[in-house]
Amino acid sequence: MSPVLTGGCQCGRVRFAVDMQPFGVHVCHCRMCQKAVAGPFAVICPVLKTHFRITRGEMAYFHSSDIARRGYCRDCGTPLTFEYPHVEGLGVLVGAFDEPSRVAPEIQYGNESRVSWYGTLNALPGDRVTYADDPQMLHRISSSNHQHPDHDTEQWTPHPGGQPD
Amino acid sequence: MTEPQMPEGPFSGGCQCGAIRFHALALRDNPHVCYCRMCQKATGNLFAALVGVLHENLTWTRGKPAEFMSSDQAARGFCGNCGTSLYYRSIGGPHVSMSIGAFDEPEKIALWYQLGLEGKHPSLFHLNEIEEAGTTEAAMPEDAAVIRISNHQHPDHDTDAWTPRPGVLP
Repeated sequence: MSPVLTGGCQCGRVRFAVDMQPFGVHVCHCRMCQKAVAGPFAVICPVLKTHFRITRGEMAYFHSSDIARRGYCRDCGTPLTFEYPHVEGLGVLVGAFDEPSRVAPEIQYGNESRVSWYGTLNALPGDRVTYADDPQMLHRISSSNHQHPDHDTEQWTPHPGGQPD
Repeated sequence: MTEPQMPEGPFSGGCQCGAIRFHALALRDNPHVCYCRMCQKATGNLFAALVGVLHENLTWTRGKPAEFMSSDQAARGFCGNCGTSLYYRSIGGPHVSMSIGAFDEPEKIALWYQLGLEGKHPSLFHLNEIEEAGTTEAAMPEDAAVIRISNHQHPDHDTDAWTPRPGVLP
């Protein structure tokens, strides 16, 4: 049976498959989700653990509290999951899916730390696609892109993570 | 649209576990979101929210980030112990684009513009229409209490001493 959704980390070391339709996809504004993704909010897709499979590699975990752990790729850092080990579901970070546009949030949680400018995001100026004004730079990125493609691969050698200069 | 004032520094921040901490003397006037597919993957999220800090204004006060070269043009810094995405760095550029959510007071850094519209998730056009479930305390009071007493996230301020909880492999 082919999976309903697939995904993985930026470098491709960790790949996963989901064998069910998503349900209860949500925005979480809580400060712990903010820190895990280093952004103003996370978007999380709950799935049953029985319907979630790691298909390549393994996740590392940070226990953000005694009742929760967050899975990520140790080689490239991509946050992948949030879970309470004692419950039957886990949350997949929506940006890690190969096709995040298929997974839409229905509800917002953690409003105690919602940033005040959340609602103004769409009013911000900006109508540019990436490096629209610099096609040479776009070419330099695309011709040396080390990100895993947005589909499963038979063979893939992740570009190694490095340490700063 | 009138651009908001940039907040005055200095600023502090770090990763979720606290193994990496930084100071930024000042921010560049470019806080933005980037929806491009590479920023999505680096954060596991629908976009990166970034603000530039000139190299000379950035100090790593505890630990050093790991880096992943997302292309030959750019490195992505993250904490190897907890995974928090800390920055995007264009090779040879004058600044490091720091993740706004990694700052201790992200609320103070309002966004000015959007980039990478080819990757904008359809739901982001309708943010205000997503149903609200309220606060964590209200939505899940029992879990919130357990989280509060065993929270392993570094507090949102500098600490003299802090032992990060080690990340674990399965």
